[in-house]
Amino acid sequence: MTGLELAKLIPWIAALGAVVCGLLCARPALKGLAGWVCVLAIAAGFGLTCAAAMPWVTGDQHFETFDHSEITRGEVVTLARWISVGGSYDTQTGEQTGMEHGFNVDFGYYFDGLTFVMLFVVCGIGMLIAVYAVGYMRGDPGVARFFAAMALFIFAMTTLVMADNLVLLFLGWEGVGLCSYLLIGYYYSKDTAVAAAKKAFIVNRIGDFGFLIGMFLCFQVFGSLQFADILPAVQAKLGLIDPYLLTGGAAIAYERLYEVLQTTNASSPWLFYAIPFCLMVGAFGKSAQIPLFVWLPDAMAGPTPVSALVHAATMVTAGVYLIARCMPLFVLGHEHAVAVSSLSPLHLVAAVGAVTALFAGTIALTNNDLKGVFAYSTVSQLGYMFLGLGALSSTAAVFHLVTHAFFKALLFLTAGSVMHALAGTLDIRKMGGMGKHMPVTKWLMFAGCLALAGFPFTAGFFSKDEILAAAMIKGTGDHGSWFYLVLAILGLATAFLTAFYTFRLWCIVFTGETRYEMGDEHHSEDDDGHGDHHAHTPHEMPFWPMNAPLVVLLIGALAAGFLLAPPKMLVGDALPQRMHIAMHESSAYIPEQGAHAGSHTADTAQPDDAHAEEAHADHGHTEHHHEIAGLDAHLFMMILSSIIAIAGIGLAFLFYSVNRSLPAKAAAAFGSFTQTLREKYYIDEFYDRAVVQPLNVISQVLFVVDQLVVHATVMGVGLLPGNVGRQLRRTQTGKLQGYGLGMLVGVAAVALLLFLLLNR
Amino acid sequence: MNVFMDKLALLWPEVAMMLGAVACLLAGLSSRQSLRKATPAVAMLALVVAAVLVRLVPNAQGAYDPGVDPSHFLGLGGMVPFVKMSVLALGLILVMVASGTPEALRQVIAAEAKEGKAFEPGDCFRGEFYAFMLFSLTGVMLCAGASDLVWLFLALELTSLPTYVMAATSRDKPAAQESAVKYFFLGAMSAAVFLYGFALIYTATGLTEFGPIVAYVEQNGVSPMMLTGVVLAVVGICFKIAAVPMHFYTADVYEGAATPVTAFLAFVPKTAGFVSLIGILGLVGWGESHGGTASELPEPLVYLLALIAVLTMTVGNVLGLMQQRIKRVLAYSSIAHSGYMLVGLLVGPEAVHAATGSNTLLSNGLAAVLFYLVAYGLSTVSSFAVVACMSRADGSEVETYDDLAGMRQRHPFLSGVLLVSVISLVGLPPLVGFLGKLYLIGSAYAAASAGSATAWVYPAVVVAMVLNSAISAGYYLRIAAVAFFGTDSGQTVELDLPTRRWGAAIAAGAALLLGGLPGNLLVESSRKAAEPPLPNAVPGATLDRQNADDTPPRETAEAGPASAPH
Repeated sequence: MTGLELAKLIPWIAALGAVVCGLLCARPALKGLAGWVCVLAIAAGFGLTCAAAMPWVTGDQHFETFDHSEITRGEVVTLARWISVGGSYDTQTGEQTGMEHGFNVDFGYYFDGLTFVMLFVVCGIGMLIAVYAVGYMRGDPGVARFFAAMALFIFAMTTLVMADNLVLLFLGWEGVGLCSYLLIGYYYSKDTAVAAAKKAFIVNRIGDFGFLIGMFLCFQVFGSLQFADILPAVQAKLGLIDPYLLTGGAAIAYERLYEVLQTTNASSPWLFYAIPFCLMVGAFGKSAQIPLFVWLPDAMAGPTPVSALVHAATMVTAGVYLIARCMPLFVLGHEHAVAVSSLSPLHLVAAVGAVTALFAGTIALTNNDLKGVFAYSTVSQLGYMFLGLGALSSTAAVFHLVTHAFFKALLFLTAGSVMHALAGTLDIRKMGGMGKHMPVTKWLMFAGCLALAGFPFTAGFFSKDEILAAAMIKGTGDHGSWFYLVLAILGLATAFLTAFYTFRLWCIVFTGETRYEMGDEHHSEDDDGHGDHHAHTPHEMPFWPMNAPLVVLLIGALAAGFLLAPPKMLVGDALPQRMHIAMHESSAYIPEQGAHAGSHTADTAQPDDAHAEEAHADHGHTEHHHEIAGLDAHLFMMILSSIIAIAGIGLAFLFYSVNRSLPAKAAAAFGSFTQTLREKYYIDEFYDRAVVQPLNVISQVLFVVDQLVVHATVMGVGLLPGNVGRQLRRTQTGKLQGYGLGMLVGVAAVALLLFLLLNR
Repeated sequence: MNVFMDKLALLWPEVAMMLGAVACLLAGLSSRQSLRKATPAVAMLALVVAAVLVRLVPNAQGAYDPGVDPSHFLGLGGMVPFVKMSVLALGLILVMVASGTPEALRQVIAAEAKEGKAFEPGDCFRGEFYAFMLFSLTGVMLCAGASDLVWLFLALELTSLPTYVMAATSRDKPAAQESAVKYFFLGAMSAAVFLYGFALIYTATGLTEFGPIVAYVEQNGVSPMMLTGVVLAVVGICFKIAAVPMHFYTADVYEGAATPVTAFLAFVPKTAGFVSLIGILGLVGWGESHGGTASELPEPLVYLLALIAVLTMTVGNVLGLMQQRIKRVLAYSSIAHSGYMLVGLLVGPEAVHAATGSNTLLSNGLAAVLFYLVAYGLSTVSSFAVVACMSRADGSEVETYDDLAGMRQRHPFLSGVLLVSVISLVGLPPLVGFLGKLYLIGSAYAAASAGSATAWVYPAVVVAMVLNSAISAGYYLRIAAVAFFGTDSGQTVELDLPTRRWGAAIAAGAALLLGGLPGNLLVESSRKAAEPPLPNAVPGATLDRQNADDTPPRETAEAGPASAPH
């Protein structure tokens, strides 16, 4: 287990990096080093991740499974007992007993395929972005503060994905929220940045509220918050594991769950819905889904590397991770819902994901802010991931998470390069023909756009197809539901929009006649190492340290699909197969097929164990075959979405490269709808009227109440001891005889009292 | 072996203290100046030697068997070494803080040899000052081991009498003499009260030794005469701990004496008082340890003590709130702390409530008192010491809040120490004062859940205690706020007394340290100190008490059945 023993150091190296960077804040002369310290800390984390994960990726080692099932257990590495409350304490012997009734949380890490996948993303992408940031932030006065927050973010994010219980996960969850706040508000002298930071923080609180309630309910039901207890217990309840195989905390959790089911009304076990629903609310906040998405576009006020790392590649995917991690809990509610033909939180996840994807995609159509388009596109892509989760294909969701991290990081960083070259200009209407000045950036972004648009055989193509196919499979065929069919069609529409708005942006910025306006930011003065002056012309970024990491990201954006794609497309290649299985092991903690089996049995209303077992038996690494229009479902979706992507790209070229008068005509044709899109559906205004202003009114009323009632009461109460003291002060005359008298009176009073007490 | 010698063998620490006091007297009058200057060091050495002897004495008796001889009449054998060690440790800090006090007196300075003038031994009372400190500390140690009313009275007076002189001779100002005179007269009056109480106890039982009195009370019940005697004794001893209704002197005396002496007054007589109260109250309650069943204090005593506790903490805090002068603020706050500690006495050892109450780590009231004495001692001594470390530019003592204003800027170290000590006095984590209050409240909580007839008293005193803590925060935090955020008065200078400074720092450091994980050690040892013997160890106790009839008051053996904590 040496690999895992090392892996537990990953967060702490980043924490050390954060401390060192923080200390460097005080040393202006050494500020330049902060970036490399941060890079080194993240790179060390990446190295440890590789060392720990390689045995599993190469297939030398498998995660232990429960007997007779395909369910893997994660490896738990405990650092220390963290919180231990309850149970009884024997003062004579000093022994603690009955701890299973108390509240016990370990500071421990949980390793399985999903953890490793997330660690690869966080540390790998994080390292590349940090390298880029060294160049991007060079010369900025607060550079050490920036990298301290970056390293702290990596600490929190790795803690989040490695946590072996919900409490520690929540610690990381809040930690990334804090770092996000610090980094969005990095340019703290800009009002917009400060407002955006506050907005992000406050909107996330709403989600956190849900998360916390979900956590409480979890504890109420299972008496534990450790994943290694909860998840196997639920899997046993789902019939995926023989309950007799459970040991320790998992067995206790199973018993508790069983008892809860006995005592509550079995026809409406609301806890089945409540726990996933609350966790879902938390995930929606962090991952910017309707209705809590409003903070993410504003969050682009932070430096561009932050947008790339925190608000595109990693932090915003924490919600996806949370649901993928807790998938069995969701499936538990889902199966019950299917059995009684009602809706479950998982349906809601899928619906919100699909609607958010389409909704954000339409806003991106008319957005004229370079980073804003990508921000809405991130919201949209996160919507895809939730659609994947909702379609019970967490593998697809996590797959998309990985590929999205590559190409969205690439897009943001290239956008950052453009912004850097133009000294802060973000309005794409002021740009054009930048390709002449920045040829490398032009093609880097082109590749990123291809991947985002889902052009055939790029990374985004494979992962998006996985999700759409999963939804389509659930929506068609013998047991298909119209619900998923609609969502799949929404997803396809979004795919078209994505292709269109992506290339709209690219065409406007990089093609056509050259025009630009320099912004007013000079965050790299003359010491920026490439010795030019921003006031004159845009320029290409230096290869090191800025373009080099982009090349790596480019390779990822184009090739990650091949590397991670389902094995049947890459016959005979061991490594991708292995990677996919690693991801599958993780995310399919409740395997998709298991869920299918569950819904089958539920639909036919005859519990058929043989059927379920058969489904498990053939589950594994062969894809299930499902046919649409005579073609394999996956192949069908691939062909369909290729056509859609190419159509979208073609239309974008037609509008913005070939004939630039067309967009105006199209906009005029749609009239007021275009205006609505430009104003982002007036969502911010709506929230302002519906939430912010009423709150303002209420708080003003409460302020008056506070002043008149609470404040006055407190001050009044405060006067009491003062007044008593003022009276008592008279007894302190300083005269000896007075004191003697006082003492004697006191003795007499005590004697009198004693007399009264004795003669009651 | 000679019985007398046998008993004397247990008193080696006290003997060492007395010898040390004599050595101080001699050193203070030595013809060599270097030796005269070393007087505080002699005193400190005596304290260290005594501490070592406390550790050694039980083992020095070859036949000593803690399993057979619980030695303390309440069975709290572990309490004696615990109190002695705490007093010696705090005594060491107090001597460090006090060093330089007699040396600053005009008369002493004049007595020193100068050009054309020989050393005037008659005018120099450096030796007396430190010797009196040791005498007084010895008195506390004897209180802890007292098993006889007469012995207890003598020990209490041995504690108090030197302090009168210390207060009188500590400053050049008439205020010091005034304070000493007030202290002496009122102290004498209180001694009359508790001596009268002792006399009534004797009248009721015909006995002066604790063990037989307890046995008598168990057989015949608590007669009204006995109860009156105990109540008067308690009220009289309230003077020592500065509790209502004997609290009037506190502020005047504390203010008049030199600040290091004030620190001494705030800790040493108070400890003596609480240790004596444990003994006196043990005569009529907490019966399990002497063979009977566990019992609370008699009902009237519970009500009276609760009333005194609540009044004491309230009076101390509201008066402290009104003050402008730092020493008076701290004086009143010391009254309030006595009120808190009385709650622990009210609760008694956990055996009383163990059968029915909730049994937690912090449910032993007596252990809480012992713990709180140390916690309070460290915090209050360091806060007084900080005040003593500074003076105004004209050489007079620091008096008001204004003098402390903005001291952070020119005395960062001292203000840090002051911050730690006042935060500990408020009772905020992570300092030892917090643990102490938690301990007291925890014990009262455990007693409240025991369900006896008087159980309603405990929640009430806990509420009073919490409210009072809030009031006390009003003036404690004001000290910290003034020191850190006030405008620098520019009027204060720091005295060149490194020993005193380090005394303050050590006390504050200990308050900080014991508030953290090392605090567990103190919690554990205070628990063991106040733990009654295991049931199977009790029979030997009664046997031992029979034998003890006509022996002189004995300084009983040092360790209980639980190994002696230090």
